[in-house]
Amino acid sequence: MNARPQQDEAEIFDDARRMTNPAERAAFLDRACHGDPALRERIAQLLNFEPQAQEFFDGVVENISAANLAEISAAEAPGVDEQIGTVIGRYKLLEKIGEGGCGVVYMAEQQKPVRRRVALKIIKLGMDTKSVVARFEAERQALAMMDHPNIARALDAGATETGRPYFVMELVRGFKITEYCDQNNLPMAQRLNLFIQVCHAIQHAHQKGVIHRDIKPSNILVTLHDGVPVPKVIDFGIAKAIEEPLTELTLFTAYAQLIGTPAYMSPEQAEMSGLDIDTRSDVYSLGVLLYELLTGKTPFDSQELIKSGVDHLRRTLREKEPAVPSMMVTTMQGNELLATAEHRRSEPVKLITALSGDLDWIVMKALDKDRQRRYQTANGLAFDVQRHLTNEPVLARPPGRFYRLQKLVRRNKIIFAAGTAVALALVVGLGISTVMFFREREARKIADDAKQREIQLREAAERGRQNEMLLRQEAESREKIVQAAVLLRNNRYEEADRLVAALPPNQENLAGAFVFRTLGEWHALRGEWQPAAERFAVLLRINQPDEMYSSSMDFSMQAPVLVQLDKLADYEQLRREMMRRFADVSDPQVAERVLKNSLLVPASGEAVKTLQPIASYISVYVQGMSTAYPDKTTAWQLSALGLYYFRQGNFAEAADDCRKCLRYVGPEGPDSPRLAAANVILAMCEFNLGHREPALEKLAAGKSLIEQKFQDGLKRGNGFAGYWFDWLLARVLSQEAEAMKMQKAP
Amino acid sequence: MPDHDLTLLLQSLGKDDGQASSELLPLVYEELRRLAGARMRQEMAGHTLQPTALVHEAWMRMVGESDRTWKNRAHFFAAAAECMRRILIESARRKSRLKRGGGQAKLNIDDLELAAASPDDKILLIDEAIGRLEKDDPEKARVVVMKFFGGMTNQEIGEHLGVTERTVERHWAYARACLFQIIRTEI
Repeated sequence: MNARPQQDEAEIFDDARRMTNPAERAAFLDRACHGDPALRERIAQLLNFEPQAQEFFDGVVENISAANLAEISAAEAPGVDEQIGTVIGRYKLLEKIGEGGCGVVYMAEQQKPVRRRVALKIIKLGMDTKSVVARFEAERQALAMMDHPNIARALDAGATETGRPYFVMELVRGFKITEYCDQNNLPMAQRLNLFIQVCHAIQHAHQKGVIHRDIKPSNILVTLHDGVPVPKVIDFGIAKAIEEPLTELTLFTAYAQLIGTPAYMSPEQAEMSGLDIDTRSDVYSLGVLLYELLTGKTPFDSQELIKSGVDHLRRTLREKEPAVPSMMVTTMQGNELLATAEHRRSEPVKLITALSGDLDWIVMKALDKDRQRRYQTANGLAFDVQRHLTNEPVLARPPGRFYRLQKLVRRNKIIFAAGTAVALALVVGLGISTVMFFREREARKIADDAKQREIQLREAAERGRQNEMLLRQEAESREKIVQAAVLLRNNRYEEADRLVAALPPNQENLAGAFVFRTLGEWHALRGEWQPAAERFAVLLRINQPDEMYSSSMDFSMQAPVLVQLDKLADYEQLRREMMRRFADVSDPQVAERVLKNSLLVPASGEAVKTLQPIASYISVYVQGMSTAYPDKTTAWQLSALGLYYFRQGNFAEAADDCRKCLRYVGPEGPDSPRLAAANVILAMCEFNLGHREPALEKLAAGKSLIEQKFQDGLKRGNGFAGYWFDWLLARVLSQEAEAMKMQKAP
Repeated sequence: MPDHDLTLLLQSLGKDDGQASSELLPLVYEELRRLAGARMRQEMAGHTLQPTALVHEAWMRMVGESDRTWKNRAHFFAAAAECMRRILIESARRKSRLKRGGGQAKLNIDDLELAAASPDDKILLIDEAIGRLEKDDPEKARVVVMKFFGGMTNQEIGEHLGVTERTVERHWAYARACLFQIIRTEI
């Protein structure tokens, strides 16, 4: 190694390079590098390079051509396709089964852990493979949660040896949904039924917090299961992972091949504002799909959109109203119209009539530029299509009297026909002959019945509408929960909180649990106990049917928060619920949590009795362990037991357990809520035993830990070092001890 | 729109030793590429632009005026410099590969050619030399990346590395000469 540190070398170099006089510089170097000829030689050499170096570096970065930079994410120089038989990761390529805008799809064989055939898609474009894969990984958990017969499972992602990203998914062999429909000349109703299934699949994904972002016919394949066509949505997770190229840049340079068809893009996606995509973008794309299934065309022509350039494309999607489906078909050339009708086993006029009305309304509602006015969920869209199929009023259409009546007539053609005939007969009958009297009376009876029936039907329709309103409200709430979950995954707490704060309290789904738990904790960490308690209350309601391990955690969050807020009645209720639910618990950690959280305030003898089984369960557990040298779990158990005996009035026993607990200091150090709580409980025991001095000492020890913690700001924590609610529990108890100190003052 | 998440992220980097966190890089990287593309459209292909100006613009767009914390700014710029390095290398590689007809033709440039090397070739050479310097003297290599690719001022680099401006200037001059020497004699 050099005798001198580098710092000096740089210093000497810098000083020397500022000297213009060679002789002076030489003298300086002699002096500075005295006794180190190698150093002198090195620096002299560097000084030789110095002027050239400066020149070499100058202006390199300052003048990169714009075109050069723009090429960065443009397509990679056309690479060679992966050969059949190549092994990529755990997959062996068997056969090329497709080639799309952004990649090549192979059928591949997975060798481990199970042998199966999968679809492997290698992305063509030159993009940052690492972040593509990272984005996929980020989405992976959500993708794994999707389990739906109409969704092809996303399995894996990685990078090929040449550095291109690839995705692995369930292998689906089938036709594009539009092709399948046309090849088989599916009539309208069957097309709509397929479409409804697609909507349900998308809805399922939305409920898991996954947005597809690239719904188009080539991503919906129809396969036959025992002769029954089943649509499968593929490519979930990919659009998001390769979202990067959907930037202004690539839209400009390579967007045609990349997106394949911008016709399916929602206006907000075309805006490229990046973050602002939600489930309603998928609803828009579903609307385009429905449009194409109905008319054979997309609302805007793909080729024209591409040709028009980015700005024009955006303006079109943002401002131009597409022709309604029936109009689109009406304006077709004769031959085209005939073909379109034939593909639907229909005739031109019938086709146009079938489209105009409900289907026009439904499609246009899904395609609304303003996503607020679209169907808020994929299910909402599916419901409406279903209603159309069963001749019920669709939501898309503003309810007018005539329209509802029309629907009623269509559903009850026979009854109405009778009614009308009778009315006619009445007019005629009254005027012409008394002979008709009896007939008339009979007729009136029938007419009355018909009228009665009509009223009933109308009421039913009205009830139906109210039901629909309710369903719609529910769907909207669910939608908001999903949105909130997505926001939370991006750490946008305020927005998520605002979104759910206004919701009616009936959000019983798992996404809801995640949302309300996260928001409750978020408030708690900011010391906002009141809103925290509100979120946790909803959370516990959501959890009600579900007695999972984690729900004892949820109780542990709410319990100290309620005591902190002095909401003792609510706490009492929570405690009962907790004791009821966990009466026969067999997990030591859950038992410990339940025991201590049930005893945050003095309890009745009865309540203490109820807890007896849990306490003895814990004490058996503790006895099995070495209490002389407790481990972490035992230490927690001891603190809970200490609290139990204290509430029982068995102070000596309680103090003994607390002392044992305090003997164990975990690797996390003395800064532990367990130690804080044990100190506080011990202090309360000592007060009651009349040992004021040690009591004050323990209380001070516990309090200083607690105060420090709250002063530094609570962190969420973990099971190892304790959670925030463990600290809150300690604090709640310390407040009780503090009061005791006053009461028991000498 | 200032991005508060980003500010939070920057703050959370805290006592980071200057290596931009793995979370920050992709964000900045994406923004830079996006900006480059936007510029490309505005200014048309023949024009030139300054990557360092892009870095400043990215800062304004992603963090904005709201955050004037030196530390955050320095973290951001350090990350941006690393990103810009990757972007420029990526671009230069692609071009030189095209020119040389595919394959990762090894650059081999003798003295005569060196003076006339295109900016792309220079960037590739400099990057490779930095790679070697990183092994021997990582701190100076970092100064080069921040200054050369990130367009950071000596003051900003000094803040970030916790050294004086004068030291930054020295490191830069010294490292530049070292890099050139590496290019001349080793590559």
